Amino acid sequence: MAAPVCIMENITKSFHVGDQDLQVLKGVNLTIEQGEFTAIMGTSGSGKSTLMNLMGCLDVPTSGRFILAGRDVMQLNDDELSELRNEHIGFVFQSFYLLPYATVLENVLVPTLYREKKKDHVRDRAAELLKLVGLEERMKFRPTQLSGGEQQRVAICRALINDPELLLADEPTGQLDSRTAEEIMNVLTRTNERGKTVVVITHDADIAAYARRTIHIRDGIITES
Amino acid sequence: MDLRRILLNLKIARRSLVQFKWRTSLAVLGVFFGTFSLIIVSNLSGSLAVKTEQEIDSLGTNLLIVRSGIVRRVGAGTPLMSQATNLTPEDARAIKDSIPAVAALSAAGYKTFPVRYGNVSLKGILIGGVEPNFQDIRNFHAREGSFISEQDNLDRNKVAVLGRTVVEKLFGDEDPIGKYILIWRVPFQVIGIMEEKGSDVSGADQDNQIFIPLQTYLKVLVNKTNVSNIFVQITRDDLIPATKTDMEALLRKRHKIGPGQNDDFAVIDMKDVMALKTQAMDLITVLGRIAAAVSFIIGGLGILSIMILIVNERKLEIGIRRAVGSRKRDIILQFLIESSIISLAGGTIGVFSGALLSVILLRVLKYPFTLSLTGLLIAFGASVLVGILAGIYPSKKATQFEPVDIIRT
Repeated sequence: MAAPVCIMENITKSFHVGDQDLQVLKGVNLTIEQGEFTAIMGTSGSGKSTLMNLMGCLDVPTSGRFILAGRDVMQLNDDELSELRNEHIGFVFQSFYLLPYATVLENVLVPTLYREKKKDHVRDRAAELLKLVGLEERMKFRPTQLSGGEQQRVAICRALINDPELLLADEPTGQLDSRTAEEIMNVLTRTNERGKTVVVITHDADIAAYARRTIHIRDGIITES
Repeated sequence: MDLRRILLNLKIARRSLVQFKWRTSLAVLGVFFGTFSLIIVSNLSGSLAVKTEQEIDSLGTNLLIVRSGIVRRVGAGTPLMSQATNLTPEDARAIKDSIPAVAALSAAGYKTFPVRYGNVSLKGILIGGVEPNFQDIRNFHAREGSFISEQDNLDRNKVAVLGRTVVEKLFGDEDPIGKYILIWRVPFQVIGIMEEKGSDVSGADQDNQIFIPLQTYLKVLVNKTNVSNIFVQITRDDLIPATKTDMEALLRKRHKIGPGQNDDFAVIDMKDVMALKTQAMDLITVLGRIAAAVSFIIGGLGILSIMILIVNERKLEIGIRRAVGSRKRDIILQFLIESSIISLAGGTIGVFSGALLSVILLRVLKYPFTLSLTGLLIAFGASVLVGILAGIYPSKKATQFEPVDIIRT
C-alpha cells in the first residue's frame, strides 16, 4: 500500500490573543490514506478551520509531527510551503475565490503560473477539466457571469489543474442551495472515484454523508465515528 | 517565470487597472512628461551641436583669426576692442614663414564706404580688402564670375566681388558682371558674385559686403599699411591651441610688447566663440533635465500611490495566489512588472510624441535634423527605473498579507 497522503501526530496549534495563548488544536492525531474521501465535521469554533489551514499548509502547527505528501512540513520554509501547496494540494473554498478580472480559463490556469516543473499543454488540460464539469462553453466568461454552482466547479478545476495528491474543500457548498450543493458533491465524488484523495470540511451532516469516512472535531480534539 | 506566464499575469492585471482609469492616467501622465521633455531637450541640444559644428565649418576649417586692437575687459562683461595700427601684411608673412602648422593665411582690411551704381547709392557697405586664398580659408567662394586673383592683388586692379545682398540692392535683376560701380569715389569693375552665406556668429549679414584685392584696398582706398585681420588656416585641428600660443609669442616679439604689457592684437579661436554660444543652450538643457526629473518624480509618486491602492484592492487575489502556490518573490515580481509596465506606457507615449514634436520644431527652426539615440535610451530606461522604484514598496507590502488572514470562510 502507498504511503499515506497526510500524517498528523499530536498536532497542537496555539494563537496569541492579547497576552494569552489560546490553544485551538490540542493534540490531533490523523492519518489520511491515498484515495480516501474523508469529511471533517465540526461546529464553528471547534478548530476545524484551523485544522484545514494546517492541512493545506497555509499555516504551520505549533508542535507535533506533520507529514504531507512525504514531506516533513515542520521543516519547510515559506517558499517550500508555497511549492508544496502548488504541487500537492488543491483548494476549494466556500466563497469560491476566483480572480474577478480573469476569465474562467485563466482562473483555472493560475496555479500553473507558479509550477516549477513546466508542463506542456496546460491549456488543453484546463479545457479538458472544464469539459468534465460541463463548462467547456464558458471558458471565456468572467466569474461574475456565472452562477454560484458554476463558479465552484471552476474552482474545483483550478484545484485539480496541477494534479495534486490532496483535494481540500472547505465548506464547498456553504453558499449554494441544496440542489447545487448536490451537484458539487457529485463532482467531488466523481473526482474521488477517479482516484483523488478528497477531504471535505463541513458542519453539515448531509454533506458529510457523501464521504466514506467521517471525522469529528470538537474543542480541538478529534474523534472518529 | 517565463514570458507566457508574465503575459497571462499582465492580461489579468490590465483588466484590474481599468477600474482605476483616472488615477492610472495621471500616473502615466507624469512619466509621459518626464520622457517627453527628456527627448525634446536631447534632440534640440543634439541638433544645436550639429548646427554649431556646421557654423564653425562654414567659417573655415581649422581657423584662427588675428584681430588688430587691444582687448579691454570691463569687469566680466564683453571685451572691448580699441583700434591699433600696427598689424601688417608683413606680420602675416612672418607668421606663414616661421610657424610650420600654418597651412595658409590671408590678411584682410575692413572698412565701410558708400557704394554707388547708376542712381542707386548705398551707405556704409563693408569693403573687405583680401588676398586670393581668402575664399578657401574662410570657405566662402565666388559663385559667378571669378574671385580676386594673385595678379589683381599685385597690380592693384580695381576689381570687386559682390555679396548677394549688395547685388540685389544695386542691380536688382540686372547682370552685374563687367559693370562698374563706385566705391567711395573710385570706379571698380565687378568680376564676380559671392555664394550666399547668411549671417555669421555675431549675426552680421555676410552677404552685405564687397571684396576687393588687399593691395588695392591699402594703396587706393585707405592709403595705409596696416590691416585689421589675418585669417590663418591651421594644418590640423589638434595643433590649433599650440599654434595660437606660437602666433601670440611671435606677434608680441614683432610688436615689441614687453612682459606684463597687454597685447595690441587678439588671436581668436572660433571654437571658443562657439563655446560661449553653446553655454546658453547648456543652461536650457540643464533646465529641461530638471523639468524631466521633476516630472519623473511626480510620475513615480503617482505610480506609487496607484500601486498601493491596487495592492490593497487585490488583497484577496494575493491571498488566492499565495494559497495556490505563489512564493513571495512571485508576488513581488508580479507587482514590479505591473508598475514598470504602467511607467513604460507613459514612457513610450512620451518618447514618441517627444520625437514627433522635436521633428516639427527642428523643421520650423530650420535646424539640422537629429534624433538622439542616447536620449531615447535614457528616456526609456528612466521610465522603467521609475516604475520599478515606485513598485518596490507596494509589492513588498503585498507579501505582508498572509493567505490565512485573507482567506476566511
